[in-house]
Amino acid sequence: MEWEVDEGKVAAAVVVGLIEKATNSTEPDLDPRILKSIKSVVRHSDLELRLAVENLMSLMKRDHSQVRYLALAIIHELFMRSKLFRRLIVENLEQLLSLSVGFRRNQPLPAPPAIASKLRLKAIEFLERWNTTFGIHYRQLRLGYDYLKNTLRFQFPNLQANAARAQQERRERELRTKEILLKKYELLKSNLPSIKEEVKSMVDEINECLDILQSCKEPNLPLSPIDEEEEEYFEEFRNLELRQIRDNSLKEADKVQENSENKVVFDALRELYKLLVTKHIVAVQESISVLIRVELSDNRVRDSMLKEFIDTRNHLKTIKKKCEEAGCGLSVTTDEGGGGGEEDIWEEGTSERFDIPKPNKQSEEDHDANKSKDDAIKIINSKVVCDADLDPLKSKLMGEAPVMKWGSFLDNWGSVMANQRGLEVEGHWGRVDYDAVIPANKVAELNMQATVYEEDDKEIQQCGAPLKKEKGGLCTRRDLKICPFHGRIVPRDNQGKPLINDNYLSETEPKENLLSVSTEELAKQAVIIKKREFYDNKKEMKRAKLAKVRGHNDAVLRDAALASTSATCSIGEDVKTREKNNSLAKMLKKKVSVKDRLGTRLLNRKATARATQMMMMNLGDDRHSKYREAFPNQW
Amino acid sequence: MWKEIGDRQSGKLRPNSFISRIRSNRASSLQLSNHKEIVSPHRGAINSLQVDLTEGRYLLSGASDASLSVYDIQHTTDYEGGGLIAKHKPILHVDKQHQNGHKYAISTAIWYPIDTGLFVTGSFDHHINVWDTNTSQVVMDFKMPGKVYRTAMSSLATSHMLIAAATEDVQVRLCDMASGAFSHTLSGHRDGVMAVEWSACSEWVLMTGGCDGAIRFWDIRRAGCFSVLDQSHSQLGRRPPLLERSTTKVTTSRSFSPGQTSSSKTRPPQKKATSKHSGGSRILRQGKQKQRLHPGLLSSQDRATAHYGAVMGLKATEDGMYLLSAGSDSRLRLWDIESGCNTLVHFEITRLQTTKPIQLAVTQDSALVFVPCMTSLKAFDLWSGKTSMTLQGHYEHVNCCCYNAYDQELFTGGNDRHILIWSPPKLISQDVDEWDGRTGKPPALDEDNWSD
Repeated sequence: MEWEVDEGKVAAAVVVGLIEKATNSTEPDLDPRILKSIKSVVRHSDLELRLAVENLMSLMKRDHSQVRYLALAIIHELFMRSKLFRRLIVENLEQLLSLSVGFRRNQPLPAPPAIASKLRLKAIEFLERWNTTFGIHYRQLRLGYDYLKNTLRFQFPNLQANAARAQQERRERELRTKEILLKKYELLKSNLPSIKEEVKSMVDEINECLDILQSCKEPNLPLSPIDEEEEEYFEEFRNLELRQIRDNSLKEADKVQENSENKVVFDALRELYKLLVTKHIVAVQESISVLIRVELSDNRVRDSMLKEFIDTRNHLKTIKKKCEEAGCGLSVTTDEGGGGGEEDIWEEGTSERFDIPKPNKQSEEDHDANKSKDDAIKIINSKVVCDADLDPLKSKLMGEAPVMKWGSFLDNWGSVMANQRGLEVEGHWGRVDYDAVIPANKVAELNMQATVYEEDDKEIQQCGAPLKKEKGGLCTRRDLKICPFHGRIVPRDNQGKPLINDNYLSETEPKENLLSVSTEELAKQAVIIKKREFYDNKKEMKRAKLAKVRGHNDAVLRDAALASTSATCSIGEDVKTREKNNSLAKMLKKKVSVKDRLGTRLLNRKATARATQMMMMNLGDDRHSKYREAFPNQW
Repeated sequence: MWKEIGDRQSGKLRPNSFISRIRSNRASSLQLSNHKEIVSPHRGAINSLQVDLTEGRYLLSGASDASLSVYDIQHTTDYEGGGLIAKHKPILHVDKQHQNGHKYAISTAIWYPIDTGLFVTGSFDHHINVWDTNTSQVVMDFKMPGKVYRTAMSSLATSHMLIAAATEDVQVRLCDMASGAFSHTLSGHRDGVMAVEWSACSEWVLMTGGCDGAIRFWDIRRAGCFSVLDQSHSQLGRRPPLLERSTTKVTTSRSFSPGQTSSSKTRPPQKKATSKHSGGSRILRQGKQKQRLHPGLLSSQDRATAHYGAVMGLKATEDGMYLLSAGSDSRLRLWDIESGCNTLVHFEITRLQTTKPIQLAVTQDSALVFVPCMTSLKAFDLWSGKTSMTLQGHYEHVNCCCYNAYDQELFTGGNDRHILIWSPPKLISQDVDEWDGRTGKPPALDEDNWSD
């Protein structure tokens, strides 16, 4: 029996101690480990739970918002878990609410106002959560919630309602998209024949155009064998790369060149191509996606349609390829030969970035003395990752080429046509002069490279001084010259001992270091200090002395701790907790802001007296002016 | 509980004592009811609550937003939370919009004691209205000289239908429902009257408590009041055992002689249990001496007080032998009606609200008294004054409470506009069955939920 009682007492002490420890901190959140241990202890028996409730309620009465805040957090954790705890808390809910929400005018929340408001918000949020989860079982919860909400009109975060509303909205949106999809599907089904018709007619037209071109091309053919002969001839003494280039150029030559004769055909082809890319392929793609996404009860029709559309798409793609081979990409951005298989127009833009330095480089190599540009360009010595499929020459050149930050100055090389830059503005701003050229000086101005200053990142050294704690470790602060805790930063070894003579240290930061140095070192330092006494000024002397005294005190304390019993150990702990309390107390102290300082200066008696005097004088002036107004002729 | 049932079964326990035991057990275990709640439509503080005396089924409430409601507390109108919470919505609600509704706060609302067809309301707009419950119309209207604080009707009365009205005015008026006129004007108080109560053992005796701190007893068949309670005139503990001689006097309260009240100035508080005997003889003697004076005039000169400050509430016990009075001096006093003595029971009250009249309640067996103490309601043992329960549920001041002896339920109304029901715990929790029956998704279970 006695044994049981003892155990109960011990458990009680543990609970109280843990809760005390958890709430005695200035951190904004609970320590999860302590919380966990509280939970496991409290779970153990009802007695401990009751004790915890008592203790927590007494903590809630503390005159410090931080303590209340942390206590409330613990209460919430336990409230969500234990039934008995709920019952006990709910009995005194009114008090708990008045202590955490502070709705009674004669009991406002205690001091640090920032934390007090945080406490209030949290309390309201917790109350709402409790009410939604357990409100049905506890009339008190419902009452409290109702009172705060409907009588005092507190703003609740309304978590559940918000979540429900979001859910509802999402569902509605989904429903709407489904409906739209269905509508689109219906439309597609009815439009299917006409679409097919359209595509077919266009494909036919393109094919016709291509046929015409093909027939025009015939006369060019005889030239090629000659080329080949030449090739063979050259092959003997030219390297592979050059041959590659030649190949490309030959292929280029294979294509039908645009000239005055077939210009009309090309134009038509281009038009059709444009239509194909911008309209039909996109439309087909879209309808495919619609078909994929739509949900129907009967899938057979859809599947057949899908199949058809995919076929059409593939067909269109082959035709598009053909067009491109025939040499009519979109009018301006003709293929540069870099990425042959690319279909998307926009990706060309990205490949352009790599390709741009190429002509520049070539010209540089040719002329070799193109200094003016070189000066402007900042070369970064990093290798470009070359694609494997590039021809060797190109990759080699790429390897050598300077990598530049992209900028608008890279957009133009050579003279610039003002109105042929891919932007179609003709419809909007009246007549357009296509031959307009930006003057050279303007171009030069545009081509100026803008550089942004970049700090070259230098490694800032860690302070590396040994820390006071038993666990040790080195100070990881990075400061340029002086660490605020350990003084000047000097190179140190792994232990944190300075590599250079510690003359400096003894002056600048004796406090922390003295703790860890041995007595020998102390003696050494003392000697050094004595030496320095002769030629140092008085101030420094004083400081050193102070440091010495402090060091001595610390040493004595440490000795005492080593030689002492557990009683003195607890004294040490006491000191620690007092420190903590101090920090809690510090939170209560009002920080003096600029406003306060101004306030004290403005509102002190002298100032007000002076102000009233000024006012009086002004009043006097007023009277004076009235008098002047009344008798203007006497002035 | 099971033991008592067993005793009853074997005949050890008489039916009456079995009932009273069960009742007192239930009354002493009141707690905030989770399964039953009243949906209050009031938008102001609730000033008055009463359950009807005939069926114990209809609760009448009057609130300071000039609205009044009637609830059926036996039959639920609505369920919530999967049948877990029974809601009682008002079956009758009258507010300012009603054509003969009150203009200002209703301070009192009482049932006609004979049936539930009528009820009476008094308001700060100086009117007392008599309502027909079924048509919810005013059938009679009395204009009073000032704000009405309390009204009372005698539940014993067979020969009269008088509404006693305590108002701002110093005079207590009795409104006759049969004629529609004031039948009596009782003057004696020196300040407004806040509390009024009919005796539970005589249909002609009325007790009133005023803002001057006096509690006066009136016999409505005679002029003037026949007794003024004096807090210094006291006896210790419960009434002494009845003697053969005094049994004859107990039958009617008329046996008090008017001269009895003047004894307070001459005698120190009597503490002996035998004081009753000497007091009786004293009354007789003094009666002879002062016979020449007009009795009504005499008592009006008596300035004895029952409380330091105003008397806020009066409540007679069910058996009519004792009177409880609450004063703005935060005291609750228990008076022996027969002897007119303060019984010196010390009730452990810390503070009472002093701005409004309060309504007290007593259990049927006069064991517990329920007193609104600021935001809580306290139950005191009537004889020892010890706190037996503190019912904490309201968030603002509690104004009134009403004990329903049929179900051993307590109703409280407060400034936070809620009417709370306090009931003994259910013997068997029906939660589980009800969820299954309704096949709705069960609400979150109230169980331990340790994650680690």
